[in-house]
Amino acid sequence: MQRLLVGIASGGRTFMTKTISVWALFGATLLGVIAAGAATPGPAQSPAMKVGVRRITETQYRHTIADVFGPAIRLEARFEPERREEGLLALGSAMLSLTSSGFEQYFALARSISAQVLNEKGRGIAVACEPADASKADDTCARQFVAQYGELLFRRPLASAEIESRVKTAGLGGNQAGDFYAGLELALTSLLVAPDFLFRIESAEPDPADPQNFRLDAYSKATRLSFLLWDTTPDADLLAAARSGAIHAPDELEQQVERMIASPKFRDGASAFFADMFQMDGFGNLVKDPAIYPKFNQSVAESAREQMLLRTLDLLVTRQSDYRDLFTAHDTFINRSLASVYAVPYASKQPWMRYEFPQESERSGILTDIGFLSLHAHPGTSSPTRRGIKVLEIFMCQATPQPPANVDFSAVQDSTKGTVRGRLLDHMENEGCSGCHRRTDPLGLALEHFDGLGQLRTMENGAPIDVSAELKDVTIEGARGVGEYLRNEPRVPACLVRNVYSYGVGVKTYGRDKAYLAAQTQAFIASGYRYPALVRLIATSPEFFRVIAPKARSSKPVAEATVTQLQSTAE
Amino acid sequence: MKLRFDRRSVLKGILGGSAVHVGLPVLDAFLNTNGTAFASGAPLPVRFGTYFWGLGLTDTPTGGTRWVPTTVGPGYELMPELEALASLKDKVSVFSGFRAIGDGRANLVHWTGHASILSGVAPASASKFDAPSFDTKVADAIGASTRFKSIDIDASVSRQPVSYSTRSGSTFASPDATPLALYHRLFGPDFQDPNGENWKPNPSIMLRQSVLSAVTEQRHALMKGLGKDDQLKMDQYFSSVRDMENQLAVQLQRPEKAEACVVPQAPNDPTRISSVDVVNANTKVMAKLLAMGLACNQSRVFTFVHTSGASETYLAGQSKIYHQITHDEPTDAKLGYQPESSKLAGEVMKGLGAFLTELDAIKEGEGTLLDNSIVLAFSDTGYAKIHAIENIPMFLAGRAGRRHKSGQHIAGKGDSVTRVSLTAMQLAGAPIGEFGVGSMKTTNPISEVMA
Repeated sequence: MQRLLVGIASGGRTFMTKTISVWALFGATLLGVIAAGAATPGPAQSPAMKVGVRRITETQYRHTIADVFGPAIRLEARFEPERREEGLLALGSAMLSLTSSGFEQYFALARSISAQVLNEKGRGIAVACEPADASKADDTCARQFVAQYGELLFRRPLASAEIESRVKTAGLGGNQAGDFYAGLELALTSLLVAPDFLFRIESAEPDPADPQNFRLDAYSKATRLSFLLWDTTPDADLLAAARSGAIHAPDELEQQVERMIASPKFRDGASAFFADMFQMDGFGNLVKDPAIYPKFNQSVAESAREQMLLRTLDLLVTRQSDYRDLFTAHDTFINRSLASVYAVPYASKQPWMRYEFPQESERSGILTDIGFLSLHAHPGTSSPTRRGIKVLEIFMCQATPQPPANVDFSAVQDSTKGTVRGRLLDHMENEGCSGCHRRTDPLGLALEHFDGLGQLRTMENGAPIDVSAELKDVTIEGARGVGEYLRNEPRVPACLVRNVYSYGVGVKTYGRDKAYLAAQTQAFIASGYRYPALVRLIATSPEFFRVIAPKARSSKPVAEATVTQLQSTAE
Repeated sequence: MKLRFDRRSVLKGILGGSAVHVGLPVLDAFLNTNGTAFASGAPLPVRFGTYFWGLGLTDTPTGGTRWVPTTVGPGYELMPELEALASLKDKVSVFSGFRAIGDGRANLVHWTGHASILSGVAPASASKFDAPSFDTKVADAIGASTRFKSIDIDASVSRQPVSYSTRSGSTFASPDATPLALYHRLFGPDFQDPNGENWKPNPSIMLRQSVLSAVTEQRHALMKGLGKDDQLKMDQYFSSVRDMENQLAVQLQRPEKAEACVVPQAPNDPTRISSVDVVNANTKVMAKLLAMGLACNQSRVFTFVHTSGASETYLAGQSKIYHQITHDEPTDAKLGYQPESSKLAGEVMKGLGAFLTELDAIKEGEGTLLDNSIVLAFSDTGYAKIHAIENIPMFLAGRAGRRHKSGQHIAGKGDSVTRVSLTAMQLAGAPIGEFGVGSMKTTNPISEVMA
């Protein structure tokens, strides 16, 4: 996708253009404006309070680089591992810093990006000014360059000290190397390894309407919107709305949100959100025993991930359909690798085709995608407990506590015979285990017609598999039963609402959020369970920008709205 | 682009007086006649590392065990699950009977044990430590003069890279998780062969230093207005920048000669399979690279993960993973223990055997690299079936340059695991006299194994 950011704002008006040459023309005049603006102290330079620091994710990094420097820049690096907190990596990112080896990686990546941006081919496009003499430093041109890219990368104008330290670096390097662009490369590298780029640092300022309280400053607002809706840095239009302060006005905010939802980049934002909420980060390293699952390979794993995303985005973004259809729809997308695992013919010359499973098929909804089924299983077998835990955690925001440490498993029967159900029934009868296993296992047992790779089966160790399951007040039958159960479960829409909000603000939900979240859930239901409507609701609500001073945060989470850490120890 | 530097301009310390460290060539870096030290009298450096494997070793419900030696002191007999260490027995001390003490905190399964050993405190929640892992303290003490303060490696072929090394308790190291990644880190383009002729400082490294100084100059402004938790995050960020600065400074110095250093060939990455045979093969290949990285003075500290806490490894072709088997397998009435679990434990220990063998294969001075190292090998549990955090198997391998009186079995009798951790730190030469919190606080290393 062409995602080169070429809009440059001037005087409240935005020029969007698809040609790079026009951009270069505008650049010369407009950069002066930006640079001059940066030198004047404003709210961004002296924030009263910094209210949040979140490390940017791999996709945010990639989208930002593509938007700022064009899609041709190659990024080859290992990104720091992310961590899931309360069901979301977005919450984990608010707790993470950068390790030495992580910094080493970002440093190498920054050098590689700078070299590509400023190589002989790229510099004409990337640098809007001409140095007086390309064989030595030129502070004026360097200053313009640093101010322009600094604002795009830091998501706010740079303070003059921030600019000058890079101008100095560019000057030393340029003169020493006898090459203006060599110096510029160093300056750009320095922007790309700065904490202001690698972390989203949100700032608050006194609220003019209520000076006792703080509000998110304009640039932090623009950034919050941009990362929720687009998974990338704010574009020129959003930055202009921040610069003028217009973003604080409800009308302007609504217009911006409408514009962003209408943009193709909204799909990237939704993709990043659902990849996070649906915990699709394990596919890259998914392993299966080749003797037990000979059809599995890395291409199947990657395709399985892609399938889940295609299904989700087609339903929720392209068609703007009912979120609940995600659990029951028979139509999906497959490619050749997946067709083999699903044991269906592949009749298309395209890499992907739409495929509809017959109405009587057990394949219906995202829980029967091999992605979900294989990710939440073991290398050589399925795991009803793990699948059950994940259904509760991902789609209903229901936590499962750690298993007790000193469980006596000695009564557990030999599992090389019969089905897994018998073995788990022992858990359900054991006092120490039953509390959780009675909740988690039934949902997983109902999915037992799918093996550890997600292939359909009806027998295990020569015995037929029983896929009926008793929940607290309902009996469900098989995968379609689980899908129907989720479709009608009120905690399912509530969980999506909680996740969109938490993902956007980067903060866990607490008791005081309860009424707000309930109201958003009602509005989401009233919209016909439409995802874009939900994003619009949340992104235009004042609560989305509410500022909580870091130390004043309550430490008491709402029990039903939280999810504990993944049970890596669960069976 | 061309950079116009020559050695003269470098040595004059250019770049407008920015911090540039240019070391004088070490001309006397030759060993003394008996090979235990440099001619200057400086001893060969001691290397320190941790080696972790998941799921402990096998105990029996009646109080017996498949790994604890029957005698205490030197010359212990190898029990069945330690067979893989047979050829290195004299260089390995076995520590049994040590436990993690929670002081009322719950035993977080597959977490409390190794968190206690590494951080000295039973953590409040899974996925975090309440204090830094002690390998970072050792790295600060002995790792600053090499290119990397520490090398973190994960051989487990897990879904997520696994490391238990942390400075903050919440952000864990991002380990090199494949042989090729490890090779590139150690021997990639920035590697300087210590035995290479015609060493010259690389001028581009000085330019990289100026990139970092533009970042660190903004530190004060950045820190202003940050909440306490966010300040800690930024502290770690700047500490990582400092490590990078140190790395660059080291690269501007002529490397000391290293007789054992032979630059290896780039390895192939194995197929991504987590069965124990593949993990062990991976361990061997990565250990070989690491050993050469240590011999080439790229680092003095490492952390190595063979398998994670709730390990997903398994015997190839078997549908159940090791973790499930430890919990589900009944104790065999005749044998008195879990035969499958014990077999897998033996397989997993082959990884440790292979790892140490690679360190021992490199001749250094009059001994081997392992003789100049101290490796703390340990697990997350004792008897995995019941998630025991008593009798967690721990080993100290290597002679720490003759500081370690190796080849002994020490019975801990319920003492805190932190005593073994403190012993490891002191054998590594870190000036640390106290470790742990509450009941696990100790100033008392295990003197029997210290020369």
